Amino acid sequence: MIRVLIVCSWGMSTSLLVDSMMTAARVKQQDLIVEALSAGEYMERVEDFDIILIAPQIRHLRKNIEAIASSLHKPVAMIEPFHYATMNGEAVLEQIEHIFHVTKGE
Amino acid sequence: MIERVGNWFERYLVPPLGAIGSSIYLQAIRDAFIIFTLPLIIAGSVFLIIANPPFWSPDAIPESYKAFQTAVEVPFQLSFGLMALFLAFGVAHSLSQYRRTEAVQPGILAIVVFLVVSIPVGDLDTLRLGDLLPYFGGQGLLVAILVGIGTGEVVYRFRQSRLTIRLPKTVPPNVKRAFEALVPTLILLTVAWLLEWFISAHTFINADGKAQPYTLPILLMTVFKPLVVVQDSYPAAVLEIILMMLLWSVGIHGMNIVTAMAAPFWFTTLANNVHGGHGIVTEPFFHIFAHLGGSGATWPLVIYMLRSRSSQLRTVGKVALGPAIFNINEPITFGVPMVLNPIMMIPFVCVPLVIVTINYIVFSLGWVHVPVIMQPFTVPVGISGIIASGGDIRGGLLQLFDILVSAVLYYPFFKAWERILMGKEQQAAQTNEGPKEQLVAAHHQSN
Repeated sequence: MIRVLIVCSWGMSTSLLVDSMMTAARVKQQDLIVEALSAGEYMERVEDFDIILIAPQIRHLRKNIEAIASSLHKPVAMIEPFHYATMNGEAVLEQIEHIFHVTKGE
Repeated sequence: MIERVGNWFERYLVPPLGAIGSSIYLQAIRDAFIIFTLPLIIAGSVFLIIANPPFWSPDAIPESYKAFQTAVEVPFQLSFGLMALFLAFGVAHSLSQYRRTEAVQPGILAIVVFLVVSIPVGDLDTLRLGDLLPYFGGQGLLVAILVGIGTGEVVYRFRQSRLTIRLPKTVPPNVKRAFEALVPTLILLTVAWLLEWFISAHTFINADGKAQPYTLPILLMTVFKPLVVVQDSYPAAVLEIILMMLLWSVGIHGMNIVTAMAAPFWFTTLANNVHGGHGIVTEPFFHIFAHLGGSGATWPLVIYMLRSRSSQLRTVGKVALGPAIFNINEPITFGVPMVLNPIMMIPFVCVPLVIVTINYIVFSLGWVHVPVIMQPFTVPVGISGIIASGGDIRGGLLQLFDILVSAVLYYPFFKAWERILMGKEQQAAQTNEGPKEQLVAAHHQSN
């Protein structure tokens, strides 16, 4: 199972991406949990996830988020703006699987 | 050429704007507004609508309704009307979360400090709640933010410095936490009380012609009143919309950041409007009347994209339609993209500026009732304008007119960008690769 946290601005537009990711995961029969939290709420929940993704509209917070995540040894990645824009859950899922296997391999 | 301009923006525009966006104080204020006070403001507004039904003009309300009206205003006053109290909690709470320390205790302490500085030191039996109530709402926001940040900082410093009551390791963590909070609580409480004692020893003559003791919020509002007036002006509105759109142009949530800075003024003005004021520059002025279909007034772009001959724009258009109805436009911002796009950035900043100008004129001429009702920004265009102006149909018509203006102004820029994309798509098709993959790849490079 892969547990993914998406940090975004309000959690509004990201919820659309989450739906699309869940659909993609069902098709691939990948066991996936995705939660979208705003930049004000995510800190206390980082521990509960395997991978932290950052939505493009808060990329200026990347350093802060990386600092928090790395203290808990969680990998962090940016969502590609175009994938985010087109709500391409499939592409984001691939990104997640890639990160998951790389970090597991270490 | 386009890449080079993009790189220039990335180098010189992103760092300063990003620095504003990552200030933890601004983030804490923004989160406090969004998470802690917005639900109260919106729920309270529902009661406000019931108290002042839009189908009656204020002078035409029947006598029989007036007793009921007074009753309905109670839940409004105790939610919307107390937003500063909860904002104080929210700011201290969010700030502590950003500092990664326990957050509820500083939040509660901020409420206590806010109460102490808002109520005159003296005989509590003779106080009239009605005299003080405005300063727990719109008029107290500035103090609430200062108290929230101050309390959060003081508690944090104490926790850092270990200048606190130390207990043996065998004491359970919850008990320990309570004792740890004791020293900063005592100090803050004493300082706030002494300050308020000094301030409330002085009196002023209130609207009823009676002497009333000063409190910290009353004093600050007397000092800052000119600033609230300055903020409710056309130049201030222009400054705010330009900053919002410049932030969005580099992909940072501009509305959020400007909200953190301007919200105390917006809500003071809005609360004044609720009580018959004529302020224009408020939260709905931007969220409801300027950002039609999302920040940048991008509604018309959705229609253009659905009919575009560029496959990238058509793809984005299909995804963008649903969210646009609810004023969410991240698909457009990152998919067209507007962000760091030297062509689309021009209308992305200028169209909202033109709309703000038109709306400012319309509101100051009294052609549409000024914003009084706060609602979620996701309410569809047309309906939201009517609600925001307290049931004025012309509020909805103004939004539709603004969309027409946006459609006309965006068109030439959209066409220019479409031509560039189609050129790229044709090139991609000639090199035998799938056009879509190529475009995504090209997009990666430009990032």
